[in-house]
Amino acid sequence: MNEDFTYILVPAFNEAEVIREVLESLLKLKYRVVVIDDGSRDNTEEVIRGLTVRYLRHRVNLGQGAAIQTGMSYAVRKGARAIVTFDADGQHKVEDIPKLLETLNEGQVDIIFGSRFMKGASTNASAGRKFVIRIGRIVNFLFTGLWLSDAHNGIRAMNRKASRKIKIRENGLAHASEFLFEVKKKKLRWMEMPVTVEYNKYSRKKGTSHMSGFKIFLHLTLYKLFE
Amino acid sequence: MTTVQILLLASLFLIVLYIYLRLRSSVVDAVVFILLALIGAALVVFPDYTTVIANKIGIGRGVDMVIYFSILFLGFVCLKLYARIRRLEQTLTTIIRESAMLNARALEEEAE
Repeated sequence: MNEDFTYILVPAFNEAEVIREVLESLLKLKYRVVVIDDGSRDNTEEVIRGLTVRYLRHRVNLGQGAAIQTGMSYAVRKGARAIVTFDADGQHKVEDIPKLLETLNEGQVDIIFGSRFMKGASTNASAGRKFVIRIGRIVNFLFTGLWLSDAHNGIRAMNRKASRKIKIRENGLAHASEFLFEVKKKKLRWMEMPVTVEYNKYSRKKGTSHMSGFKIFLHLTLYKLFE
Repeated sequence: MTTVQILLLASLFLIVLYIYLRLRSSVVDAVVFILLALIGAALVVFPDYTTVIANKIGIGRGVDMVIYFSILFLGFVCLKLYARIRRLEQTLTTIIRESAMLNARALEEEAE
C-alpha cells in the first residue's frame, strides 16, 4: 500500500506526557501521521513540535468520536487510500499496523477492527475491565446484530470506501459502537484481527473508568432514539 | 380566594408578562399563550371544574389529573430540549471541524 496515502489518525486530549513517544514510534513506519488535538489544555502541541506530523486542533474539547471524524474527513480530503486509528496513550503496538494494512490491502474487507481477545492477541486488561468489555460486546450485539470478540478497541484500519461512508456523529466514547452501526447500515465488509493492547501505568490512570461503560450505554440509547 | 390561588394567579401573570416582554413571539404564539394562561387562570379560580373533567376520564381528583398531564408535558419538553441540544452540538462540531481542517499545520516546519 502506498505509504503516502496511508494516514494514521491519533486523537489526543491532554496526552502531553506520552504522546511524543507514541508519535515517534509511529513515524518509524513512514506513513502520514495526523494528530487531532481535541482541545487539550496541557502542552501537547509544544511537546510534539518538530515531528513530521499534521496537527489539527479542535478549539474546544468535543470528545474522541468527534476527533476521529475530523481526522477521517481531513484524510479523505487529502486523498487517503487507507486510514488507521490509533490511541495516543500508548496502549497499542505499532507493529500491529502493517499487519492490519496488509490484510486490508488484500481487498476482502473494508474495515478491520483490532481485537485484544482473539487467538494470537494479547492484553493485560484487568478482570474488571474484561468484564465491562464483555457487557459492551453484548450491548453492541443487541444494537447492531454484529458479534465481535472485543468492544471499544481504539485500533482499526479502513479503506477509502469505508472512511468516506462512515460518518461518526457520536462525539463521545460511544463512537466505537457507532462504527459498528455504520458498518451494518452502509453494508461494509468487516473483520477482526488480533492485536496487542498493553495498558501501562499512564493509560490505566488516563483511560476510561468502569463507570464510563454505563455512560456509553446511555448515550447509545439516546443515539438510537434521536437517530 | 385562598392564598395558593393568589400565588398561582400571580405566577401565571408573571409568566405571560415574561413571554410578552422577552420572547417577542409572533401574534399566533401570543394568542395561544394567552388562551392557555386564561384556561389556567379559570381552573385556578374554579378548581372544582378540574375534578369534573377528571371524573369524566376516570381520574378521581382534579389535582391528580393536572399532575399526570404536567408530568407528560414536562417529559415531552425535556425530549424536545434534548433533541435541540443534540442539533446544536452537531452544528458546533461541524464548525469546529471545518476550522480545525482549515488550520491544519505541519509541525516539522515549526521546529526551533
